[in-house]
Amino acid sequence: MLSLESIELTVPTVASPLLSGINLQLPGNHFGAIVGPSGCGKSTLLKTIAGILPHTSGVIRWRGRNLDERDLDPHELGYVPQFTCTQPRLTVGENIGYAAQLRRTGEAREIQSVVEKVELETGLTELHNRRAGVLSGGQLRRLGLAMELTTNPNLLLADEVTSGLDPKSEEEITALLALLARQPGRLVLLVTHSLRYLELYDSVTVLTEGRLAYGAHPSELTSYFGVSTPEDVYPALTTKRAAEWAEEWNSSLDEMSFQIEATLSDDEDSSLEKEASDSPVPGFFAQASTWFCRKWKLFWRDRAQVFLHLSLLVIFPAVVTLFAYQGLPAVRNMTMSPETNVVQELRETLAFTVQSSRTGTLVSGLAMFQVILLALMGSNNSAREVIAERVILEKEKLAGLRPGSVLAGMTAFFLLLVTVQSFWMTFWVRLVCQFPGNFLDQFLPLALLTAAMTTLCLAVSSWSSSTEQASLGSLYLVGFQLPLSGAILALPDFIAWIIRPGITAYWAWSGYLQTLKETRFYDLVTAITETPLGPYTLSLWVLFLHLVLGLSFSYYGLRRSLWR
Amino acid sequence: MSRRAHQQISVTKLALLLAGVGFLGVGGFWLYRLMGGQYRTVETLDPESYYENANNLKGNTYRVEGWIGNSLGWNPGKGRLFSIVTQSQNKDYVLPIFVPHDLQTINIQKKQKYMVKVMVNDQGILSVLEMTKP
Repeated sequence: MLSLESIELTVPTVASPLLSGINLQLPGNHFGAIVGPSGCGKSTLLKTIAGILPHTSGVIRWRGRNLDERDLDPHELGYVPQFTCTQPRLTVGENIGYAAQLRRTGEAREIQSVVEKVELETGLTELHNRRAGVLSGGQLRRLGLAMELTTNPNLLLADEVTSGLDPKSEEEITALLALLARQPGRLVLLVTHSLRYLELYDSVTVLTEGRLAYGAHPSELTSYFGVSTPEDVYPALTTKRAAEWAEEWNSSLDEMSFQIEATLSDDEDSSLEKEASDSPVPGFFAQASTWFCRKWKLFWRDRAQVFLHLSLLVIFPAVVTLFAYQGLPAVRNMTMSPETNVVQELRETLAFTVQSSRTGTLVSGLAMFQVILLALMGSNNSAREVIAERVILEKEKLAGLRPGSVLAGMTAFFLLLVTVQSFWMTFWVRLVCQFPGNFLDQFLPLALLTAAMTTLCLAVSSWSSSTEQASLGSLYLVGFQLPLSGAILALPDFIAWIIRPGITAYWAWSGYLQTLKETRFYDLVTAITETPLGPYTLSLWVLFLHLVLGLSFSYYGLRRSLWR
Repeated sequence: MSRRAHQQISVTKLALLLAGVGFLGVGGFWLYRLMGGQYRTVETLDPESYYENANNLKGNTYRVEGWIGNSLGWNPGKGRLFSIVTQSQNKDYVLPIFVPHDLQTINIQKKQKYMVKVMVNDQGILSVLEMTKP
């Protein structure tokens, strides 16, 4: 049984409470509608029950237990949000399949049978192989429902899943929900603006301005409000203040015989609770592996994205080598004989300075060019990764998905991408420009830079509230790397000491150039740049710390709640 | 206890995380300087003392940092003699350094900056034991 006792919800930015004095008892095997005019708090109430919005005071009990003390188990709750939260590039079967794999344990065959069962239940069997992106509104709502049904939840909350649908689809979805509510121990609550098909509900809860105006069987609705048709209820609500309606309803509770009857005894509650808590959520690595497979499939399915990645992979290293496609110039040394006359020495010094300037700038520039382009690739890898799927993530987290598993799955995928990108850049530039030095030594700082930028942009994405914000944040992150690295213009000493530890590009540039230490190119670079180069091992260490920082902030960003 | 769907991120945890990463960064740098600094334990040569009486410094090991000047001599079996320009108390000093034959693979050129570990040999010449670019 679901019991709401004196629920209040206030937010600092709004003067009047969003919910006030809500008392409601709803039994299992029940199909209830929460109705009311726009802005009356219907969805807010549903989100409060789901735990998405924290109520300010009052108690919510599910099967006798206070949910503030022990929350609903992931398997107990199914929440279908107002807007679609399916992945358009996956088919119906894949959307349901991945939801099932993330939410429940079992062999592939068991998962497959769950998928088939819920498809049958929701009438999606025929659409198994159809992409979610081409489904109609009604079909999408069914898919959303089907994903929630994979765990066979006892409490199914549906937020405006019939809004915007044609009358036939609305009727079908409402009938489907009514049918789902007939399964043993299941309570289905539907938030809707529509007052059609009232005969299908076991109860109707009417809200006005966050207060409870009515909560009983639908057959008594019109007589209670003194209207002839259900459609007249909303206009009737405007005839009194919300507080008056709430007071009137509270006072009439004892007198009226048509309140909702809560039928489950405490014993039944506890046995059902035990049954629910026995359903385990998959382990950390199982969820991480599912998320990785899902990401892998999505990556290859988006041809534009694959094309973009391949283009960057080919074009960026090619652009770097354009500046030295004939290889690095040979370095002419100065005469070391002490017998050289002053004029000759001055001439040589001048020639050497010019050479230092040209060759040193070229080598330093090629190193920084690789660094910046790889940083851009890193940003492109992950800048929109989290925010683009935020709604799906939030819903899956509610259903038991661990943020750490998501991060592990994403990290495994990015590891592949980063390795390919940095390997190819190092290899191609060395091949064409004939860069001296050890391949692995040069690969490491570039790989760590790409990985660090990927995770830092992932962190930006996980803390952003819109894709625009995430893209812009990542763009700034990459954009500031070049000027603040000191590779072009040296920063004043006192600023450099503060800023330099945080500039990923500086450490990758330093690390890369340090691999040329035994060559004359290193001398020429150090001769023309005022920015001191960080030691190789220290550069790798700092890049690793940037990577750790990116992963940590990504984890917290994924963990925080961001329902819209 | 907070419900699963609206778990808040602890600002303290985030601050601790930042502090931890900062600590690792500073600690790493400090450790690098402590453990990995080039010839960290070797005393820097005072050019004035060397000029005054090189014999007094015989057998000692010093660190010299400076720019390579000219090549002063070469013997295929023994090694190379260079001048190196080093700074001490804002004054330039030119010192002779002898690079023995076993360090012949190092490409030493004019204007290169080197950090050199030298020993003052029996003839009072600064004989290079190790050398690296700073």
